[in-house]
Amino acid sequence: MPSLPVITGLGFVTSIGHDRTTVLRHLRELRHGFESVEFFGNPNLAVKIAGTVKGFFFPTTNWRDWRWPEQFSVDRELIRGLAPHGVYAICAMQQALAEAGLDRNQLRDGSTGLFCASAGSPFMLGSFLDQMNQTRGERGNPMGIVTSIAGTLNFNLAAHYGITGAVCGFVSACSSSSHALGYAMDEIRLGRQQRMLVVGAEDITDVSVLSFSSLRALSNNPDPATASRPFDRRRDGFVGTGGAVALILEDAALARSRGARIQAELIGWGQAGDGHSVAASHPQGAGLREAMRRTLADARVSAGDIAYVNAHATSTPAGDRSEALALKAIFTDQGAHPRISSTKALTGHGLSLAGAMEAAFCTLAISEGFIPGAAHLEEPDPICAGLDLPRTSLDEAPRLVLNNSSGFGGSNVCHVLRRPT
Amino acid sequence: MKPIDASAPSHSATTTEKEERIKHLPADARAAFHRFQHDRNPATLDPVIFAILQDFIPHEPARPFTEMPGTTQLIEELGFDSLAITEVVFFTEDLFGINITNDEIMQVRTLDDLRNFIHRKVAPPPPR
Repeated sequence: MPSLPVITGLGFVTSIGHDRTTVLRHLRELRHGFESVEFFGNPNLAVKIAGTVKGFFFPTTNWRDWRWPEQFSVDRELIRGLAPHGVYAICAMQQALAEAGLDRNQLRDGSTGLFCASAGSPFMLGSFLDQMNQTRGERGNPMGIVTSIAGTLNFNLAAHYGITGAVCGFVSACSSSSHALGYAMDEIRLGRQQRMLVVGAEDITDVSVLSFSSLRALSNNPDPATASRPFDRRRDGFVGTGGAVALILEDAALARSRGARIQAELIGWGQAGDGHSVAASHPQGAGLREAMRRTLADARVSAGDIAYVNAHATSTPAGDRSEALALKAIFTDQGAHPRISSTKALTGHGLSLAGAMEAAFCTLAISEGFIPGAAHLEEPDPICAGLDLPRTSLDEAPRLVLNNSSGFGGSNVCHVLRRPT
Repeated sequence: MKPIDASAPSHSATTTEKEERIKHLPADARAAFHRFQHDRNPATLDPVIFAILQDFIPHEPARPFTEMPGTTQLIEELGFDSLAITEVVFFTEDLFGINITNDEIMQVRTLDDLRNFIHRKVAPPPPR
């Protein structure tokens, strides 16, 4: 019988909190993490809101200027190779390891792997390339590459934690950390690793967020209370966020043998491409529909068994519509009516971070016995007719939860999580 | 990329860039650097060199550099790695407007090696 991956530790650095208790309170009470901001110090920009990561400051690309909340420690040897989202990741890892009851020495024997996801750091890369251009190639920060390119997370975390098992980074835009989580499940299911560290993280800087303004993907709504409203008729784009989330996955047998608390089981995952557009989702949500179908099949459950779906819905007009159609095809048309919400209404869209962050929220829902409501939803888009979008969080303990993610190029990934038996 | 133009000048940091670079160093090191810029006396440089080492050393040293023997080894005893040494070299090149080759870096093993090397580089002895 294949090994069963389970989740034994979570760590959060998010717009809605940097510890389990605070994140849980925001999800239960539907309190968002948005603030009014001025990107590039330019009051003329239409985008006014971000899911800020409170207590962290990165005013320049020089780590000597960086600050983080005092409950976290970041080694001097480590920080020189980090981007801002690497600092978030270290802080999230510290929490996750503590929650799982693990110390660093237990990660070094080759039975633990590390899968990460981030888009790299445009903040650090821009500075590095500016210096090279200005000096016509004669100068460059020796740490410039490892702090900035996609892969910076796995380079740094693998070295810092002494990981000698599988190490890899995943780059599929907004489904990146969902891919990392899915393939981490496989490492355990195939018996290649007994434990996997999964980390998704993103910077939140002027350049990381405003890049999406060029695509007209960001909300221009200046009201933090309504700017991110997935599935609402008046939604007008997503709100950017950053941060990091870490999950500790272990073979269930290992977790039980060392007395770790199993928070949720990961019983299936799947993926499918849209085969349609480089940036836009398939208009009927074809890829996401197929990814959900494959995931349910992998988990050996039916649509009617799913109690809660954490939707990818980012609050863009086209993306939410595609997902609503995919959800209706998988659930409503089969007579199934799971609760559905997108927690991006509270956090904003974390890009590469999103899949891991929302898998962690699903884990909280299972382990703490509640379902996060569809925040900020006032006028559901008529396309959502037949979908159960609860306006408030519910004291219902879901047994089976589906987590959806979609990324550029029509890359769709889903997971099924189960309450431990 | 384009064909070689031998007449192109090399990069050197401006005064403003140098001030920006030393802003994280302690006040006594900044003052020493300003004195050196005025009198070009290498004897004034040690506080600057030690401050640069302190700024890039991967692990906090057990005692100040000023209390260590000059024979203290940068890698084996102080825990510098190749990346940190490269950072020190690049910083030093920019600050003093000098060029340090990889072969020269390989010769520097101790605190005294580094001090003597930078002293020679920034104020070479007059030709005989």
